[in-house]
Amino acid sequence: MKEHLEKLDHLLKLITNKIEEAISKKQLIEIRNAYLSKKAEINTMLSILKSLTPEERSVFGQKINSVREHLFQLYEQKSNLIDRADLTDKLNKEQIDLSLPSVNYTSGGVNPVFLVRDEILNIFIEMGYEVKEGRDVESDYYNFELMNIPKNHPSRDMQDSFYFSESLLLRTHTSPAQARVMEEKKGELIKVVCPGKCYRRDNDDMTHSHQFMQIEGLLVGQNINLGHLKATLDLFIKKMFGPKREIRLVSSYFPFTEPSVEVEVSCAECDGQGCPTCKHTGYIEILGAGMVHPDVLKMSGYDPEIYSGFAFGIGVERVAMLRYQIDDIRRIYQNDVRFLKQFK
Amino acid sequence: MIVSYNWLKKYINLNNVDPFALAKKLTFAGVEVEEVKKLASATNLVIGEIVNVRKHTNSDHLHVTTVNIGKKTLQIVCGAPNCRENLKVIVALEGAKLPFGVIKKSSLRGEVSEGMICSLSELGVDHKFLSSKQLEGIEELDNDAVVGETNVLEYLGLDDYLLDLRILPNRSDLYALLNVAYEIATLENLEVKKEDYKVIQGDKSSFYVNSLTPQCPQFSARVISDIQVGPSPKWLKVALQSMNVRSINNIVDIGNYVMLLTGQPLHMYDYDKLPKKELIIKDDYVGSFIGLDEKEYQVQKGDIGITSNNEVMCLGGVFGAYSSAVDELTKKIVIEVANFSFSAIRKTANRLGLTSDASIRFMKGINPYQFESVMHLATDLILKLCKPSSIEEIITYDQRSQKEVKNIKSTYEYINNRLGTSFTSEEILKTLKRAHIKVDVLDDKSFLATPPTWRIDLVSEADLSEEVIRLIGLEHIKGSLPLLPSTLGGYTPFKNKVLRLRQYLSHRGIDEILTYSLVSKKEISDFVLLKQTKAYKLLNPLSEEHMYLRLSLIPSLLQVASYNQARDQKNLALYEISDIDYEGQEKTHLSLLLSGGLLLQDELNKTPYSFYHLKGIIEGLARYFHLSLNRLKFEKVEKTNVELHPGQSAYLKFDNQVVGYLGKLHPLMAKKYDVEKEGVYLLEIVLDDLLQSESKAIVYEQLSRFPVIKRDLSLLVPEHVTYGEIKKTITSFSKLINQVNLFDIYLDKHLPLGFKSIAISLTYLDKQKTLLDEEVKEIEKKLIELLNKKHQIILRT
Repeated sequence: MKEHLEKLDHLLKLITNKIEEAISKKQLIEIRNAYLSKKAEINTMLSILKSLTPEERSVFGQKINSVREHLFQLYEQKSNLIDRADLTDKLNKEQIDLSLPSVNYTSGGVNPVFLVRDEILNIFIEMGYEVKEGRDVESDYYNFELMNIPKNHPSRDMQDSFYFSESLLLRTHTSPAQARVMEEKKGELIKVVCPGKCYRRDNDDMTHSHQFMQIEGLLVGQNINLGHLKATLDLFIKKMFGPKREIRLVSSYFPFTEPSVEVEVSCAECDGQGCPTCKHTGYIEILGAGMVHPDVLKMSGYDPEIYSGFAFGIGVERVAMLRYQIDDIRRIYQNDVRFLKQFK
Repeated sequence: MIVSYNWLKKYINLNNVDPFALAKKLTFAGVEVEEVKKLASATNLVIGEIVNVRKHTNSDHLHVTTVNIGKKTLQIVCGAPNCRENLKVIVALEGAKLPFGVIKKSSLRGEVSEGMICSLSELGVDHKFLSSKQLEGIEELDNDAVVGETNVLEYLGLDDYLLDLRILPNRSDLYALLNVAYEIATLENLEVKKEDYKVIQGDKSSFYVNSLTPQCPQFSARVISDIQVGPSPKWLKVALQSMNVRSINNIVDIGNYVMLLTGQPLHMYDYDKLPKKELIIKDDYVGSFIGLDEKEYQVQKGDIGITSNNEVMCLGGVFGAYSSAVDELTKKIVIEVANFSFSAIRKTANRLGLTSDASIRFMKGINPYQFESVMHLATDLILKLCKPSSIEEIITYDQRSQKEVKNIKSTYEYINNRLGTSFTSEEILKTLKRAHIKVDVLDDKSFLATPPTWRIDLVSEADLSEEVIRLIGLEHIKGSLPLLPSTLGGYTPFKNKVLRLRQYLSHRGIDEILTYSLVSKKEISDFVLLKQTKAYKLLNPLSEEHMYLRLSLIPSLLQVASYNQARDQKNLALYEISDIDYEGQEKTHLSLLLSGGLLLQDELNKTPYSFYHLKGIIEGLARYFHLSLNRLKFEKVEKTNVELHPGQSAYLKFDNQVVGYLGKLHPLMAKKYDVEKEGVYLLEIVLDDLLQSESKAIVYEQLSRFPVIKRDLSLLVPEHVTYGEIKKTITSFSKLINQVNLFDIYLDKHLPLGFKSIAISLTYLDKQKTLLDEEVKEIEKKLIELLNKKHQIILRT
């Protein structure tokens, strides 16, 4: 019995050493075949049990089982360790050049006019304004007459137009949308913004373009006043250009509003102190606005005794040029992709 | 309009007003001052007289002069051709600061020069105010100039500031200097001195005037005899010069002076040249007319002709006739002070290309209530400067619809309500009065306002509210957001879809461009493949390049592609969405251009663009908008055209209607638009038809619990049979065929002649139960039989 136990101890030490010394899967498999297979001594030793007394059998049986279990466990651990080391080795050999170019998932560039237009519209949508669009081809009646600009009126000089016929032209501003919306809404509360392309008979240069984009805003209800216009535009400007920007109104003239104002925003470059960007005035002209002229309301079916409203017109290119420091309006219509890709 | 500060000073006391501060004030009140500039600037000047001139020995054009400047004489070297003895000149002394620099004592080719004899241009006077003689040499002063006088700029009337006003259409009154004075008086709280003139009733006149047209509601004439035509006095020359008007002679200058001052244009006729002693105004004269410039003009119906014995003596408000023009020999004149309709003047002046200071004033609108005072002012000046022997009475035709300024009834409440302010009645009244508006208080709420005659823009309560706020100052408006019922903002459903479409395309790396809507004749008829009808054509284009409103976006995209390719940007993916309007239709188009290839990882992994990229974009967007792919058809373009490659292009049909086209650019078009011959692919779709149609609502479909069976088929297919036909046959054959995937297609010389090889993988699925292999094999066997029968397809083994 004693010699059996010694034998077992010996095997335990021997195999433990072997497993611990093994450094490859191959060695480990050899160890398994040699010492842990069914024909290996550690297993054949079980036959000894038959020759032992019941007490010895119990002691020896427990002992041999625990040794076997221990060795199998040891073997599993070592096998896992080597597997893991082999895997790490294999993975380490799969190092790639991390600096190679990425697979292209870049989104496309967007012409800055669209970028700014969408941003402006979103600000007004958040304020509950509907977006309504007119068409490029407009009648003289809507473009001018309903906007309080009769034929041969001096204020027509302000907007040289492209005509298709005596009565049909390319709209010179988005203001005709005012009349169209009023006709559609028939006395209901109106809160709309109307983006659109406009055209004037100007030669293209750094600051002029025969085609440009405008956004018209119109709010018509009861007891609307110039203070409401100022607060609305102040909110818009702060959202668009930052909370530090202030607006200032300068008296102006548009045939379809009375009073009419130019809206200027404090210069972001110099914070209103005066610099080349704002031509040393501290402010930059951003849009035109005013209280809707009573005649315009009347012509579109809103009784000026009951209703009042304000309107404004924003030149989208101008805002885009200011915001992105674009020096020449023609760049916008050139669509150089190196230019476009800067705007997302 | 340019306004002289010195001239203004004759009517208002501007001694304590800085011109730059005034300019700012005017601008805020809606009268934009674009520039304030000094007419001339120079220090250390003195009037001298050249007492001796000798030629410079070392120069062929320089003179050495001796100039008496009063207390002493100086030696000055001068190069001007008009330099001569006994000439009174402007001398800039040592240390004088002129616009171009400081004068120093110097030596010119060995001769000492102790100053400079100046031209007006050297004092900073703008060239447009100077005659060619003045530009070529030194200024020749009148004999009355006093030698030794140091206030030279004042003597010359050049110590002046000019205000350049940008006059908005509502303020036509500001084309009169006197009204500018009133505006400044309003802003600065000053008094305006009235122009002083004698009123002469005149002798009985037999001259006859009449108007036969409502385009001339008022016409006054006065005959003045034995005038002496000659040069104008200096004060008048200076006044005109300061406002950019050249002096001609006293009688012409008086006309211009009165117009600049009052805004009322005058016309003078040589009485003796009139065929009949009458002036009849007509708007139905048709014939020719010789103008003051001796050129012939055609007079049409609608032009205002001022006729005498049925000959046009003047195109009213626009241009005088050569035949009745005043000249140096004129003795007897007829002065006209009239009012013409702005629209008639506008039409005539624009048609004939004749704009003048007078026609501009008529076109913008004049004060219709001042013709008598204007006539008296002109008469008074003629009396003073032209020494006439007799002055006849004023003959007037007057059928003005309104002979007095209309008053406006308003309330303090209205004004405050419109402005969002709470000004007191006193503040409002005081402000209106400052603007020279006469105010009659009716009760404690309302008042009656009568604007001054020149403010023809003030006609309504709203106008009064603007007057109040622009004068009190817009900074007094305290803004508050309007309190209104909640409203649902946002885009229309269609525009919402367009917005999503733009996101879809942008997120696929395609750049969004914006191009001009107006195109040239060369481009207008290209790519008109979607039943567009007649394009709008401009009556008044600015250039050939922008003449038609485009029918297709593709020419614009090709131009952008050409521009970029020329700058070595070869891999392009561009799109534009734009309204397309043509006669009878308003549509929204999407157009897209691909050129070069899709760079996945620089040039390492590049897929050249093909027809299938376009097709993929379309099918992708159909899925994005839940439009069943069964509703789409790509149909070969049967009719050959030169826009697209005949073998690689298709019409896109949606619900059996053509809604777009796609394909490879035809090489001939590539040449025309100067883009790469290979690898340019285009599509254009009418979005209205596609996006405004019903789309499938999303309803979740149960995922199958049963396994699929995959089978590959390798087929020999006759070359003319398309993949689409095969796929259709397969998918309609059995409901259990869940998916058809193409995985190989090729043509090879080892294949039987006339055949191609197509390999597909079929996925079978029964959503109700587990499919058995035998079932699948049975279906496949029958399918192969059908493919053979229908398309002569053979299973490869």
